[in-house]
Amino acid sequence: MPKAARRVHCGCTILPPYLLRRIAAHGTQAQREAALDTLATDQTLRLARATHELLESGAHRNLLSVPVSARQRTVYDAQHREALPGHAVRREGSAAIGDVDANEAYDGLGATFDFFADVYDRNSIDDEGLHLDATVHYGRRYDNAFWNGQQMVFGDGDGDLFNRFTISLDVIAHELTHGVTGDEARLVYLGQAGALNESVSDVFGSLVKQHSRGERADEADWLIGEGLFTRKVNGVALRSMKAPGTAFDDSLLGRDPQPATMDGFVHTSADNGGVHTNSGIPNHAFYLAATALGGHAWEKAGRIWYETVRDKRLKPTATFRQFARFTASNASQLFGKVERQAVVAAWEAVGIKAA
Amino acid sequence: MGSRWHQGRLSETDVRIDFSIDGGLAAFPGLAKPVTIECDALPVAERTALRDLVDRAGLFEQRARASAHAPPDARRYTIAVDDGGRCGRVTVAEPIADPALRDLVATLRTHARAVRAKR
Repeated sequence: MPKAARRVHCGCTILPPYLLRRIAAHGTQAQREAALDTLATDQTLRLARATHELLESGAHRNLLSVPVSARQRTVYDAQHREALPGHAVRREGSAAIGDVDANEAYDGLGATFDFFADVYDRNSIDDEGLHLDATVHYGRRYDNAFWNGQQMVFGDGDGDLFNRFTISLDVIAHELTHGVTGDEARLVYLGQAGALNESVSDVFGSLVKQHSRGERADEADWLIGEGLFTRKVNGVALRSMKAPGTAFDDSLLGRDPQPATMDGFVHTSADNGGVHTNSGIPNHAFYLAATALGGHAWEKAGRIWYETVRDKRLKPTATFRQFARFTASNASQLFGKVERQAVVAAWEAVGIKAA
Repeated sequence: MGSRWHQGRLSETDVRIDFSIDGGLAAFPGLAKPVTIECDALPVAERTALRDLVDRAGLFEQRARASAHAPPDARRYTIAVDDGGRCGRVTVAEPIADPALRDLVATLRTHARAVRAKR
């Protein structure tokens, strides 16, 4: 093999392809064979390198993911045990069953899938067609719902303070959005980054509800978890994005602790550093931006927030200010100056400089 | 029992359990306040059942292998048992893998509801 056509075994070739092609065209028989062999190998290596780089960057999803298409939902019944996933009671395409919780979970998973697919061309939670699983009737009088990283979990509520946790579409979408955030920004569930994680779930939880109802920003209630409380509770929902701190004031639950602006930022070690408390601040910023931009909130404000969650500049430990600056930057890139100004003004109104 | 401790089991009397819940789908200041359950004040059947659950969960023997890392919106429970001489304490996050600990937390949630209702 001629020296010029030798390949070093490090995943790279010494000669550029145009020289190898020249040798293949004009060299001796042995040189041509060696050059062709190297070119073929080189092509494979280049493809391997390109694939590796693509996978590292995450951009492969746009190329390799299957087109947004079919929902694949399965709802399980834990039969009041705290074991997952439980017994499958409704699968994709099957008819409604005689279980309100299971049907609400099934419909909520579908509405959330459809929202992300129709509005943002996202193929399920992971943008790769993840099957959506949910377990209902988890535990006895279990008064919570959560996303365990793989599936949704819903309790029946205690019947005293809380109704079934499938009752609010925005709660179902909130939980699934934790999966989206975990897949994209991976915001750590602590402090300001954790409050952003919570806020993003409220934002898209509310948007899924608004989308399903066809509501404009000025028509929406901007409540999270409406219907979850029983009549015994003095409150309308878990949270209000329009007026944080006003959702409930009850003798047993206490008073809604959410601040609307940075003046009320709560420093605490509880609840992972107040993730469900301080999320009121970015929640309110989104509400202000969405109502200022008008129309359907998912079209402009939602798009800006969605692209910010996907923004590679956004670090898992992001602060409110960093997140705010990226929303301003994305507003400018996606839409223009007017939209950027509206977003900056919304953040400034809650005490955060985004410019 | 001849001695206060019998094979590491919980005392028959003077047992107090502090139970607190952190996290969950929303911040509820009223539910975040720790609750103290005085076992002696419970009916005998409930007291016996609770004592058995604490024993099974192995709080004193530190057998409880619990993860305190909670996924988003899951709750974290802290249980501190004091029976007059020993203290056992564990923090565990949902979903709880250990069946004994899971049963104990579920029972304590019920007792906590009753305590809160009396406040």
